[in-house]
Formats: sequence, C-alpha cells, structure tokens
Amino acid sequence: MAVFQHITQSVRVLLIALLSVPVFAGLVGVVLPAFGYFPALNAFDFNLGVFKHLFALESIVNMTLLSLLTGLIATALSVASAFLLLSVFYRSSYLNRLQSWLSPLLVLPHAAAAIALLFVLSPSGLLASVVSNAVSVFSSGAENLSNTQNVLPPSWEFPYDRFGISIIVALALKELPFVFLIAVSVLSQPQVKRKFDGYFNSATALGYAPVTVFFKAIFPVVYSQVRLPLLAVLAYATANVEIPLLLGPNNPPTLAVAVVQWFNHVDLSMRFQASAAALLQVVVTLIAIGIWLIGENIIERVQGRFYTNGSRYTGQMFASFVAYSVVASYSLLALSIIISTTLWSVATFWTFPTLLPEGFTLLHWKTTLSALAEPVKNTVLLATFVSAFSVLIATLALEAEALNRQDNKRSEYFNRWVGGVLASTLFLPLLVPGVAFLYGLVWFQLTYFNDAVWLHLFISHLVYVLPYVFISLAVAYRKFEPRYIQVAYGMGKSPWQVFVHIKLPLLFAPLLVAFALGVAISFSQYLPTVLSTGGRIATVTTEAVAAASGSSVRLTAVYVLVQIFMPLVGFVLAWWLPTICFNPMGRYTLLRPRKSKL
Amino acid sequence: MTKSNSFFLVFSYFLSVALVRTRLFFMLGVSIFFMPAQAQQNEVSDQNSVRSPVVQFHAWGGSAQVNGYIQWVSEQVHTQYNITLNHVKLADTSDAVSRVLAEKAAGNDSQGSVNLIWINGENFAAMQRNGLLLEDWVNSLPNFALTNPSRNPAMITDFGIPTHGQEAPWGKASMVFYYNSRFVQQPPLNLPELLRFAKDHVGRFTYPLPNDYLGISFLKYAAIALNEKDRDLLYQPVTKTALAHITQALWRYLDELHPLMYKQGEYMVRQASQLQRLMGTGELLLAFSFTAAEIPSAVNRFDLPESIRTYAMEDGSLANVHFIGITYNTESVTAAKQVVNFLLSPQAQAKKQQLAVWGDDSVLDFSMLSASEKALFKPAAKHTAALDTQKAVPLFAEPHSSWTDALRQAWFLRYGERF
Repeated sequence: MAVFQHITQSVRVLLIALLSVPVFAGLVGVVLPAFGYFPALNAFDFNLGVFKHLFALESIVNMTLLSLLTGLIATALSVASAFLLLSVFYRSSYLNRLQSWLSPLLVLPHAAAAIALLFVLSPSGLLASVVSNAVSVFSSGAENLSNTQNVLPPSWEFPYDRFGISIIVALALKELPFVFLIAVSVLSQPQVKRKFDGYFNSATALGYAPVTVFFKAIFPVVYSQVRLPLLAVLAYATANVEIPLLLGPNNPPTLAVAVVQWFNHVDLSMRFQASAAALLQVVVTLIAIGIWLIGENIIERVQGRFYTNGSRYTGQMFASFVAYSVVASYSLLALSIIISTTLWSVATFWTFPTLLPEGFTLLHWKTTLSALAEPVKNTVLLATFVSAFSVLIATLALEAEALNRQDNKRSEYFNRWVGGVLASTLFLPLLVPGVAFLYGLVWFQLTYFNDAVWLHLFISHLVYVLPYVFISLAVAYRKFEPRYIQVAYGMGKSPWQVFVHIKLPLLFAPLLVAFALGVAISFSQYLPTVLSTGGRIATVTTEAVAAASGSSVRLTAVYVLVQIFMPLVGFVLAWWLPTICFNPMGRYTLLRPRKSKL
Repeated sequence: MTKSNSFFLVFSYFLSVALVRTRLFFMLGVSIFFMPAQAQQNEVSDQNSVRSPVVQFHAWGGSAQVNGYIQWVSEQVHTQYNITLNHVKLADTSDAVSRVLAEKAAGNDSQGSVNLIWINGENFAAMQRNGLLLEDWVNSLPNFALTNPSRNPAMITDFGIPTHGQEAPWGKASMVFYYNSRFVQQPPLNLPELLRFAKDHVGRFTYPLPNDYLGISFLKYAAIALNEKDRDLLYQPVTKTALAHITQALWRYLDELHPLMYKQGEYMVRQASQLQRLMGTGELLLAFSFTAAEIPSAVNRFDLPESIRTYAMEDGSLANVHFIGITYNTESVTAAKQVVNFLLSPQAQAKKQQLAVWGDDSVLDFSMLSASEKALFKPAAKHTAALDTQKAVPLFAEPHSSWTDALRQAWFLRYGERF
C-alpha cells in the first residue's frame, strides 16, 4: 500500500480521536462532581447526595419539561414544515432559489437570530408598530394619525412567555433551513436522484399528484437517510442555551440555562448541582431522542395503509397551503428583520409606534467598529485555522474511505469497523449537549495546559466545526464522478497523483463551500469560546451576546448585522472563487445539485 | 521520489508506529496540536518581560461609557507607564470569580488570567473567603491617601466587611429613579406612591432578579424604607428573628406589587441593563439605576428618549462604594498596582466624573486636593435628563453584608427559584 494511503487511513483514526477524546474527557469532568467528587472543593466522597438535592428542587420538573417539550415541538415543527416545503417544491424550478435563500439563514448564529426576532416580534417591535398604526388608521381615519403620538407598546406574551412558545418559534425558524438543506442534499445525490426520477415517472403515470408521490414514495427513503442529522437537531434544540437565555422564561428557565447559571454561580458549591443537572440534561436529550424514535415507530406502523390506500391526491391541498404560507412568512420575517435591524443600527430617537426613526446617525457603527477591531481579528484568525484544518482532515479521511472502496480486499474488517465508528463519532459532539461536556473539558484544560489558551479554543471549536465540514464534504465526495478516477488509474497514475491532480481541482468548489461553512460555524460559537478562554480572547459572537445583555438596542443591532455579514463574506467568496479558478463544475452553491434534466 | 512524498513517508511512519501503540498515538496527537500554540505562548510572554507588562482587567462590559473610560485608562497607562491594560468585558462578574477559583483549584498560583477585578461587596466577600485576593497592598498606593480613609470609613469597608487593604475604592454611587415624562406627570416619591403608580400604569415597572446587583439593591432599599422603626436591625449581622421581622413588611409590599409589574412579575429581567433597554423602547415607564450619570449620557446616545427625567426618592436613596481588587495569582503585581494608583489619581477620577465620559462620583476627599486638582472636577452644563444635585436626599448606607444573602434566599424561597 502506498504511503499516501497509510496517511489517509491514519488521519481517519485521528479524526475519531479528535472528536471523541474532548467529549469523553469533558463528560468525565462533569460526572465526577455530579457524584460528589471534586478535589478543588475538598470533596472526595462518591455519593448520590447531589442528585437527591437536585431532585428536591421544586422547579426541577418544570425545567426538565420545558427543555424536553420546547425541543421536541420545535424540531417536529421544523421537520414537518421542511418536508412539506420539499414535497411541493422538489420538482420545481423554485427549489434552487429556495436553497440560495435559505443558505444564509443556516449560517446565521443562534444568538443573532434570537436578538433579531426581538426586534420584530417584541411588543415595541416592527410588527406591533405596524399593527398599532393600522388599527389607528382603520378606527379613526387617517387624519387622526397624530393621536398615535402617545401610544404605549402593547403587553403581549412574546418574548419570555412561561410556556416557552417564544423559544419554540425561534428554534423552529432557525432549524427549518438546516433540515431542508440536508434533505435536499440527499435528494440531489446522483444515484438517489436517478431512482427518484424513476419513482416519479411511474407514479405520475398512475395518476398520482406530485405531492402525494413525494409522501408515498420519496419521503420514506429520504427520511431514513437524514435521520441522524435530525436527531442532532433535536439534541441541539433540547440543550441549546442562547435562544432560551434571550427569549425564554426564567421562572423557571430551561434546564440548560439553569446549568449555565449554576456553573457561574458565586457560591462555588453550586458546581455539584450544576454537574448533576448537566447529566440530567444528557438524560433529557436521550429521552427526547427516545420519544422521537417511538414516534417514528408509531408512524411506521400506521403508514402501511397510507401507502396502499390508492388515494392519488392525499395532502396536495394541505401541503401546498402550508408550503406557500411558510415561504410567505419566511420572506416577510426575513425582510422585516433586515429592515428593522438596519434601521435600529442607524437610528437616533425612535418612539413607538412610528415606523421610522426621527433621524439617522452613524454613531452606533462608529462606537462598535472601533471596539471590534481586535475581536474581528481573533474571530477571523481562529475560524480560518480551525476550518482549514478541518477541511484537510475531512478530505483525507474521505479519501481513505474512497480508497477503501476501491480495494476492499485489504484489512477489510478493520476499515469497516473504523467507518462505522466514524459515522457515529461525527454526531457525538452534536448529540452530547455542549453544557454537559464543555465545563468538564475546561476543568481538564485548566489542570493540564493552562497557558495554551489558543489551543483550548482551537479544540473546542474544532469539535463543532469538524463534523459539519465532514458532512458537507462527504456529499460532494460521494457525488464525485468515478469515471474520471478510473481513466486516471487506467493511465497508471498513483492514488496521490489522482488525488492532487484530478480530485482536488474538481472538488475546489465544494472544498471552498465546506471551508466557508466551517468558518461560519466557528464564527457562531458562543459557549465554547467563553468557557475555554475564560474571556481572554474575545470574538464577535461573545461581544454580541455581551452587548445583548447591555442597555443599548442600537449597539445590539450593529452587532447582529456584523454577525450576519461576516459569514456571508465567506460564502460569497466560496461561490465566486470557483468561477475564476479551476472551473469545470461552474458555480456551486451550498449543497446545490446540478440542474435537473427532467 | 519527490520531496513531498518523502515528507509523507516520515510522517506516516510516525503515525503507523503510533497506531500500534495507542498511548503513543494520543501523545503524538496532543503534542502536534500543543506545540504551535505553546510556542506562540512562550513568544508572547518573552515579549512581555522585555517590552511591557500585560495587566488583564476583568470588568463588567455592558456599558459603552464604562468601556470607553477603561479604553482611555489603558491608553494613559500605556503612554505613562508602558503597561498594556487589557479590558476583559464580562457579562457577569461572577464569571471571573469562578475563573480565579478554578485556577486556584488547578494549582495555578502565579500566572492567573485575571489580574485586576472590578467587584462589589458580595463578590468581594466570596473572593476574600476563598483567599483569591492579594492581601494588604492598598495602603502602599500613594494616591490612596487622597481618599482620606481615616475620615471616610466607607473607603475601607465594603458592605460592612473591613477590606483589610485587599481592594481599593474606585467610585461611589447612589440609587436614582428615572421616568418617561411623556406619559407620567408625577413620578412616585416613596414606596407607597410607587405602588399607586403601578396600579395606574399596570405592567410598566419592574425590578431585576435579586441575583443582579440592582435587583438586590431594590430589595434592600425597600427593606430599609418599609422598616423605619427597626432600621438598626439591618446594620447588624442577620438573625432568624430579625429576618422574619424585616421581611414581614417587605413581602406584604411585594405581594401587592408583583402582579402589577411587567409580565405580571412572572418574568423579571436578569440584568439591570435590560431595565434601561425596556425604558428605551417604551415598554417601561419607570426604572432605577445606581449610576445617575448613565441616564443623560444614554439620552445623548439616543438609547433613552428625550422625555426621560431623573430624580431621587424622597424617603431615601441607597448608596455605596465600588472597588478594584488584585487577584492572588497575578504575575506582574507592580504593574497592577501602578494601574490602580493611576485610577485613584485626581486626573483619572475627574475624567471619570465627567458626565460625557461616565459620570461616576469620585472617591477622593476634596479637602486633600490642591486648588489645581479641584479645578479638574468643575461641573459640566446641566442636562435635562440629569439628576438635580441641589436637592438633598437622605442616603441609606448598605446593610450589613450578611443581609444580602439572607434577603436573596428568602426572596427565592418565597417567589420561586428563578434564573
């Protein structure tokens, strides 16, 4: 076996280690204090006292239920609407356009999304202003408009409502693009696509409506392939911190928010409780996954009749209605977010319910930009290194997989085993709640390499960036036309030469997209950054969350815009560069299939 | 064989050996990632010792004015003393406290990541209890004498606890209220009037959770104002009977107030800064603050409407001093002390008191200053939203520090574990 193959195989194992070691080390650092062992606080006895204390809390049931239900409902909503969208648009020319519109939302950090929703949906937001103006116009005629001078913002439930509906709305809005794009990426794999085209043609010939074809023939296949990413979404939704922190109730909050608050509590003995609660969070996430799987099972049992009932138009009306309303509300929301955030960032005085500020100023931009030079530098530097490293590792690991597929004689058992472990390890950092392992990881980092701040930061970002980069690249790698490689081998080229001279140039566009995605994921990390550096290295996102806890709506708006803008630069570069260098595949947008021939 | 091939040969040899011996493999993996960062780290600290010492100043970073002032300070100490002062902007000061504790737990006793820390009474008490602060350094600062500590005991006591030279005073504050005069003609001037105001304007007043500094301050203010006769109980260490006695009137008041507050008191803001944000959007009509000067400057930055007016409650105003501490594991103590000494200089204190900068009251005793130094503090022009300083209001001193935890715990017990 050539040297190059050895390297790729080793990198594949390295990838597993890079993802699993930090997560498991972090979990150990949380499990020990949860069972009463924490040398720093002179606690050496293992016992269950911490858990007893945790379960004695009056609000623990509420917190647990809030985490569980908001996560489950939000995920169910986003999955349902994503597939309804897909069922209506999967054969339509709008599909590509939808993808390009939804891709930027994918890279919008959760914190920024939550803050942006506040601008639109809070009682003094754009929506309330529009409603209030409309009401006054309709009730008293346009000439009395000056009466709106002394109108107070209404008191409605969003945000901070006690049932977590605000959290559900924000999570569902944020997760829908992810679910949609993952499903589209499966649909656009050439071999899958060929199969589905066949299904579609036969079913249409039998008189089935396109939406019904989707649900009866295509959905079951697509769903089984996107299951793991969906579970990652669910895990994230039950354990995420930023959105419930910014939009959720606090009497009580979700469990993940409570964990963070307890870990940061002045009273250090709260760390025991925090660790125990972090483990409880893992259990909550597992329960959510369990409920999801049971739900799948139930649907599987009852679906048999649905497939064979012969009805040709099931869901046609409903799906179209939902899909168009989702598209309409998304467009409206995106538009109003952009308008109101931009206006706030340049507003002087702005009294409810007037639709425009009294004047415009660049003061807030000046204040922010002068403070942002250092964080922007840190953010860009870190994201570039983490993402470049991830792309390198992911490419080599995928190359190992491809090489294994070619000669499956050698060490087949080992390779298949590694492949299996790799597939599940990829989702490990996405399935284990960040609040559960990051605190433990920090403990290890402090104990062993306290000075290597950038290293800690690098590793905690890598854990989140690497899986996404790998998944994004894997799609392109598996779509790669094998005949190019066969021809090159036929001419006597080595795997290394094929890799460098054929694959890399042809994959230039997806490599750049994966790199941009990695950069965007790194940009958006809040908890890993704060915890692993202890605030010594500020990034744009940590500054933005600090600003969101500050007193100025206007400065927050500037931060949100900077957060939207930065990852976009990466993606624009990723779309534009391939049009000028190595251009065999042409413009390649995120996960976009080549134009359908049908 | 090309160059790159031979490089890969060496590299893969290492990795395949490592694959056989897993332990070595992990070590190699770790060292690969560790080496570049470690090298960089050494380079930085080498530069430090040659060029300028770095001081990490951990301070709450939610206010543009405070951040701007600290920015100015770091420019000054850089030009005057060649010290690099880095402001670590905290969302919550307790983050830094737990950071120092984690370092102590991990045995890092000389190279802490937190050097200077801006603390209030409670975090000070926690840090002092755990031995996280450098001891007995304040008296050696030349400018500390200007605070005249023998005449002003507030400079050496923090919430009833003697500071033992572990923290230096930085500024002074007292609680003020502000309202939106566009909707409110007559603001409430005492607690009973506040309740009447809440009835007239349902949902337009709230206070932060007691985990927040301003939130617990509101509870203290209410506890003091509602217990006029037994006020001295609050200035002694708390006892069970004293707590029961003091909270009796307090709960009666809050039980009535909560349903009339923002979100019916169901959701209460976590941070004081959120109060100002809600005042800015018009969702609240009355709020309060510990820094009177932040209100006119927020109006200047358009964050509060022009119709905002500031005043002090007539039944009394809670007042206290805030401090700077140096952590026990600070590497360059001399530089850290130089920074604090600069913070106490008439130049820096006068700059801080300017309304346009921060507006935080000076801790210096004017009788200790020369005429030219006094001239630095000349008042700026009056702002419509600024507090009328001519009006004398009784100042409530901070209750004994044991009351902070006791009141907070009692509150959470009664109104639920909120975070």
